[in-house]
Amino acid sequence: MNKKKNRLGPGVRLSITLLAVVGIASLLAPLLAPYGPNEMGPAINHAPSADHLFGTDSMGRDLLSRILYGGRASLCIGLMAAAISTGIAMVYGSISGMSRRWVDRGLMGFADLMLSVPQILIVVFLQAVFGKSGYLSLALSIGVTGWMAMARIIRNEVRRIRETDYVTAARMMGGSFGYILRKHLLPGFLPAVLYAAVSSIGAAMMTEATLSFMGLGLPVAEVSWGSLLSDSQNALLSGSWWIILIPGIVLIGTLIAIAALGEQVRKGNTRLHSNL
Amino acid sequence: MNSRIENRKNPGIRRSRVGAAAGGLVRGLFLLLVLSLVVFFLARACPGDPLRSWYGDGVDRLSAAQKETMRRNLGLDRSLWMQYGLWLRNLFQGSLGISLKYKRPVTAVLGSVAGNTAILGLLAYVMTFLPAFRIGSSCALKEGSRKDRRLSRIAVVTGNIPSFFLGLLLILFFAVKIRLFPTGGAYSYGMAHSLPDRIWHLVLPCAVLVLEHVGYYGLMVRNLLVEETRKDYVLLHKSQGIPREKILRKYCMKNILPGMIPAMTMAVPHILGGTYVVEMVFGYPGLGTLAFESALYKDFNVLMAVTLLTGALVIFCNMLGEVLSAAIDPRMRDDAADFREVDYE
Repeated sequence: MNKKKNRLGPGVRLSITLLAVVGIASLLAPLLAPYGPNEMGPAINHAPSADHLFGTDSMGRDLLSRILYGGRASLCIGLMAAAISTGIAMVYGSISGMSRRWVDRGLMGFADLMLSVPQILIVVFLQAVFGKSGYLSLALSIGVTGWMAMARIIRNEVRRIRETDYVTAARMMGGSFGYILRKHLLPGFLPAVLYAAVSSIGAAMMTEATLSFMGLGLPVAEVSWGSLLSDSQNALLSGSWWIILIPGIVLIGTLIAIAALGEQVRKGNTRLHSNL
Repeated sequence: MNSRIENRKNPGIRRSRVGAAAGGLVRGLFLLLVLSLVVFFLARACPGDPLRSWYGDGVDRLSAAQKETMRRNLGLDRSLWMQYGLWLRNLFQGSLGISLKYKRPVTAVLGSVAGNTAILGLLAYVMTFLPAFRIGSSCALKEGSRKDRRLSRIAVVTGNIPSFFLGLLLILFFAVKIRLFPTGGAYSYGMAHSLPDRIWHLVLPCAVLVLEHVGYYGLMVRNLLVEETRKDYVLLHKSQGIPREKILRKYCMKNILPGMIPAMTMAVPHILGGTYVVEMVFGYPGLGTLAFESALYKDFNVLMAVTLLTGALVIFCNMLGEVLSAAIDPRMRDDAADFREVDYE
């Protein structure tokens, strides 16, 4: 229990390294990838070998190259969606937290209502409305459906902070809503939000992967880690385990690393000793 | 603030349990109305002819005059708000239009698969929470032990495996490699009413859902319990010589229930959403498979209906959760918001 607070544990260090590697590799995909993402070769359904480190799929495309290029889409959409939902949550939660009781109730009621439909269903709905889509619209539909829980956290924090004397003082001196938000609320709820924001990157990536897996995400020509797995029905039939396992492990590894990072951000403030 | 003043003024007046339930019902209905509004305008925002989505491809064979009459019947010549009103009226009469893909009334399409989802979702829910309480309490009992520390790690890992991928893994191993379970579907051909066959088909999808969520909720139970053990009454019970396990399982467990019930109601949309994804992976004929297929075919009537039905179910479960909370914890009752400050009867 008596961990030193300032030192990063090995798990966190590993996560940061992994994320850095994945991030840089995706960024440099055109330089690093041995083949093009949609380049078809003669080797079909080949198991991992020296030529194709991660093997090839049913159309002879190199899996390593596809994973590198796919990382761009997955990470990019994850980050964009998380940014969108964090932004909405911050504004919405702050407004709700600063408003009168009945406005607050109405706003939180609406957030609860949005929470009552599973996110995946709303995203699927939005995707059907948007039609086949690019990075931005996909990030948008994931982002605008994923802010509710975070907004509630922020709202609770704002409610707590607004009762403090320094906020009262700022209001007395005529500080505007924007000023109080920037100067007093933001620093106050940032620690709580940071954890939620980091986890929302992982959640968004998972949603993107699920959508692309089902064929409701990016168009076929665009590769993401999820769309790589949408090919898996064929792979199941032909028993090509690498087509399923390797992209999956990359995806899960990244998600776990993000979760570990989020866990690190959250600070535990429980009492150390049990009475039991 | 207001309620506190009122309470102080009339401490004798209390809303009855029935009154509170009726209030909750009204609020639930209101929420549903808002949801239907959102869903309706979303669906209308999409490209495509509403006439076609309502009556199906048969529209192509109609004359212009016939189309005009139908348009008028559906109110498509009127404002969006009027259209919404008409749509709502149809909804109350039990009509949600025609499914574009299945060429049948939406209610019939939904009715044919809703049961399958209910079975899978309910089973997964129960199978998640029974072990979660068990795991959580046994970890809290051995707080800080290797087993306890392992739980949070396992929960992080399982919680971060996308359920579609976990499903694929299980299919790859249990259905393709060792052929123990079927790769998908709800029953073998012609065996729709055979219970063992259905259970056999439920094992893998249910396993995915349970594995996905049990760690998370187990950890939640564990954390609430650990927090509970810091309280003074635990010390008191201990000094009375009550065994640790009994304190934890009998007293602490009771006290974390008010914290767990909201989490368990929040779990309904989570597990339901998970169920939808898992259905898709396993080709299990349920609401989820239906919803995703409808999204692919832009069958908005079905999509709207599934969304509304899901929302209604979750709102109902939320209400149930509130009633349960109020029943077991007096502090949760609406009329006793300031229970601690005002009176102890």
